[in-house]
Parts: sequence; structure tokens; C-alpha cells
Amino acid sequence: MKKILLSGLFLLSVLGFAPAQADKDSKPFAEERIVLQISDPNPFKQTLVLNVASNLLKAYGQDKVDIEIVAFGPGLRLLFKDNANKGRIEGLAGSGVRFSACKNTIANFTKKLGHSPALNPNAIPVSAGVVRIIELENQGFKLIKP
Amino acid sequence: MKHTIARKTLLGAAIAVSLATAPAQAANWLMLQGTEPDSAAPRIKMWGFIQAQYQKDDSDPNGAGGYIPPKLIGPNLTSQEQFNVNRARLGARGTGFPLDGKVNYFLLTEFGNNGITAPGGDAARITDASITLNQIDGMRVRMGLFKTPGPEELLQAIHVFDYVNFTTVTNQLMLERLPNDAYTANQPPVSLPATVSPWRFEKPVGAGRDVGIQLFDSFRSGNWEHSYALMFGNGNGLNFGDNDDNKDTYLYWSSERIYGGKGPRRQGLKFFAWAQNGKRLLDNTNDSTHNPREFDRKRSGVGVKYLKNPYRVSFEYMKGEGMIFVGPDKPTFDMNPSVPPGNGENGKASGWYLDAGWMIPNSKWELDLRYDYYDRLEDDKLEVEFKTTTLGAQYAFNKKTRLVINYALRDFSAPEFSSGAGPNTNLDGVDTRLSIQLTHIF
Repeated sequence: MKKILLSGLFLLSVLGFAPAQADKDSKPFAEERIVLQISDPNPFKQTLVLNVASNLLKAYGQDKVDIEIVAFGPGLRLLFKDNANKGRIEGLAGSGVRFSACKNTIANFTKKLGHSPALNPNAIPVSAGVVRIIELENQGFKLIKP
Repeated sequence: MKHTIARKTLLGAAIAVSLATAPAQAANWLMLQGTEPDSAAPRIKMWGFIQAQYQKDDSDPNGAGGYIPPKLIGPNLTSQEQFNVNRARLGARGTGFPLDGKVNYFLLTEFGNNGITAPGGDAARITDASITLNQIDGMRVRMGLFKTPGPEELLQAIHVFDYVNFTTVTNQLMLERLPNDAYTANQPPVSLPATVSPWRFEKPVGAGRDVGIQLFDSFRSGNWEHSYALMFGNGNGLNFGDNDDNKDTYLYWSSERIYGGKGPRRQGLKFFAWAQNGKRLLDNTNDSTHNPREFDRKRSGVGVKYLKNPYRVSFEYMKGEGMIFVGPDKPTFDMNPSVPPGNGENGKASGWYLDAGWMIPNSKWELDLRYDYYDRLEDDKLEVEFKTTTLGAQYAFNKKTRLVINYALRDFSAPEFSSGAGPNTNLDGVDTRLSIQLTHIF
């Protein structure tokens, strides 16, 4: 039974359905832990939030800062597969920045579009963007909303 | 107001689009004007610009005291010195349904006093209204009213243009004056103060635009970007409808080595070629019968533009056959209908320009120099050569506000005639022109 449960959890994790971990483990030497919120429809905010993430990496160094960008509401467009900033997202993901996509918003967009929006492969679906932010704050992350 | 119209200023009557104020660059105008960044465009972005100018022409009248259009300031052509708000444009662009980044729109209106508004006495006119579908990889579809694929000088956004007035070749060969619906007699040179404008065309200038459908896209290959466009249009300029069943065809190709930057500020070395083909109706018979005839209108050109700060060099060559414009005072497209030569309906013309710019390092100034040549009605008794050297300076107050000062040295002549004879009776007096223009984008 235990093996089955473990296998199930592993499968869920692989499929991306497990809650994203607040990954103190992913950057054990991080001195700062930052969660960036993007929920604004203004495309300029997309550029801004990516700039902030880049600047944090520059200021602290890749291993000394743990960054997660949580996108929900209109801000989820940042994590659409063909978003004009996909190159920058790829680069930041390569530097350890995580991207969380709100499932509630995905469901809402699916209703409006008639199909599920294609997401950036670096986007990790989370149950609710705002809940994810609260979880991260509880784990010591500082919330910044550019 | 139909007769209070334009000339050299309205020459500039075209264009606009894109979103920055930097001096003109080797940008990809097809993409900048026809698309939006995928999933990163607003539902609506309001934008526009104002251009206010002062121009003074030092030309002398002919022996009888008469002035021809090149000696007067457009679009009104009733004085040699004028302040004007030649462009005041307001528009919106974006994607109406932001969740679907595959559809975008572009809308722009003109409230300024130029060849777009003045011919019809309009307070405002729509210059762009288009929808672009981006669903098919490699073949975007744009439909509506927008700039046609063509010469760089006309295709680029006018608010980042490095000069006040277009070159003569672009103004006369490419900035189309659409024929009147009925025969309209030529206007002789006017005396000042003018009681009548020499401008005799009744429709807005084509402004390098047409209503139609365009297939286009750009492809990156390393540091190179290749673009194509194929368009079919009414061939009726800014007018929403058509006046015949003929459709114009437009072809365009560009290949650009990109050095860096993006948008209108992108630096690169761009090579391009284009061709346009269509037919026009013109009633050029002086009778009471409405009997327009059909004439071919063919245009083509090649060019190159290099921009790598602080230098800019560009060159374009263009040629045309049929519907050769011979002056705003000659809506018959004929220099002199009573004399056999000088007919522009079937005439030929060609021209080129060479332009260079230098942004003075660590300053807000840029110096510009342009030479342009236009040979109108080639191999015709009434052939006219237009040679213009333009000295320019630009001062950027900020990224959105720019002052342009131009001083044009002009030499216009009819080579088949001696000084003081034939067309030179009027052309001999053409002299310098000072132009100052302030542009602010919002």
C-alpha cells in the first residue's frame, strides 16, 4: 500500500499536479527568497517583472537568491507558450527562477477560449496563484509586486 | 477648400505607425506596423503625434509674376512662408481579445493640414484601419487600409523620418495623386497674394496606402531576417471603396543583417526590392462627356539602408511607367495638353537618393545630408530634372520630442530647353527652401 501511495505521489509529481514545493532545498545557499506577482493586464508589467527578476539575480548572484514568479489573472499571459518574452523566460529558468501558473486562471481562460491555453514549458501549474503566494510567504519569501 | 491645397509639405502627407521617436532606422516596418508582440499586447494602446512646422521658400516668380507649385508652401500653395500643423495623428492599436494573441488591429486618424485632408477640405481622415491574423506560420494576413509594401522612404513611420520633406522622386513618383473623376483643366502660374490655389486634384493623396489584403511574414536565420509581402488592393489610395474593377498588385522582399536593438531603433544593414502594378482611370479629354480611359501604373525599386550608431547611410532607386504626376496644377497629367509631348499618362520617370546621417556622440544632435535626383518624363520633349541637396540637423529634446531643421538647395530644369525657354520659364526661379519641424509623440 505504501509503495502504491509513493508511486502515485511520484506520478502526480511528474505530471505536474503535485503542489509546487517552496523550494528552500532548490537553493540551499539563498540569502533572499522572493516571490514576484504578475497579475496585471498591462504588457509593460510583463517586461517589468522579468527585469526585476534579472536585477535580483545580478545583485545577489544566482545561488544567493531564490525567485519564483507567480502568474494569475490577466498576468498569466506572460506564461503563454508563444509570449513575446519566451526567450527571456527560458533564460531566467536556466538561472533557477521558477514560474508558477494559476490553475484557476487557466480554467477561466479555457472557458473563454474554448480550449486550454498552451503554456510555456517552464510554467508549473499551481492550484491557485494567490494561495501559492501565501504558501511562499509562510515559508519566508518576500512578496514583491512590480 | 478643394482648391486650397498642397505641395511640398503635403508631399509628406503620408504615413505613420510604430511607436518610438528615434531617427529612422533599418527597422522592419512590415512587422512593426502590422503585428503586435504575441501575448504581450494591450487591448488598446492609444498613441499619436503632432508635427508643427515653419517653411520659407526663396524662389522667384516668372517674368509675369506667376508662381508654380514648387515655389509655394503646401498644402495650401498660396504663400511662400507659412506656419502649419502638417500632421496631428491619433490612433489605437493592440489586440481586442488579449487571450488570443493571434489577432491584432491598427487604427490611425489624421487631423493635420496636409495632402490627406486638404484636397477634400476634410477636418480628419482615417489613414489606417486594419486587422491582422497571425494564425498561419509563415503567412500572416492583414486586411483593411494600411501602408502598401514599397519604398523605404514611404513605408517607414513618418514621425521617425529624418527630414521634413520627402525626396522629389518619392513625392512625385510614389506619393500618388489620384485622378479627378471628371476632366479638370490645368492651372496656370498664380500671382501673390493668391486668389486661387494651383492645387487642382480633388482626392487625398494616396499617402502610400491602399485598401486590400496583404500576405506577409518575417523569418530569422541567425543574424539575418528575411521578409516578404504580397498585397492586392483597390489601387484607390485612402478611399475606402474602388472606382473600377482593376486591382493593384504589390510585391516586396527585404533581407537584413541585424546588428542589434529592436523596433524602430533596430540597427542593421537592409537590402530590399519591391514592385507595384495597377491601372487607373483618367478623363483627360476636354469635353463635356465623362469618358475616362484606362492607363497602366507601374512602379518598382531597390534600395539599401545601413544603420549602426552613430552612422546612417541609405540609397534607393525607383522607376515608374504610366500615370506620371507632372504637378498639382496639372490634373490632366499633361504638361501642356495643347502640345503633343509632355504627356504623363504614358510617360516614364526614374530617380534615386543618397542619404547619410551622423549622430554626434555624447550630444543630442544629429547631422544629415541628402541628395536626390528625379528625371520626370524621360525621353520626352518636356522632360524635367529635379536635383536637390538637403542639409539637415536634428535635435532630440527627449526620446519623444525632436526638432528637424532642413535647408534645401534646389536645381530644377528642363534639359531640352535653354534657360528662360519652355518649362524653364518657370523653373529658372526655383531656389532654396528652409524647413523647421517639431515632432512630439505621445
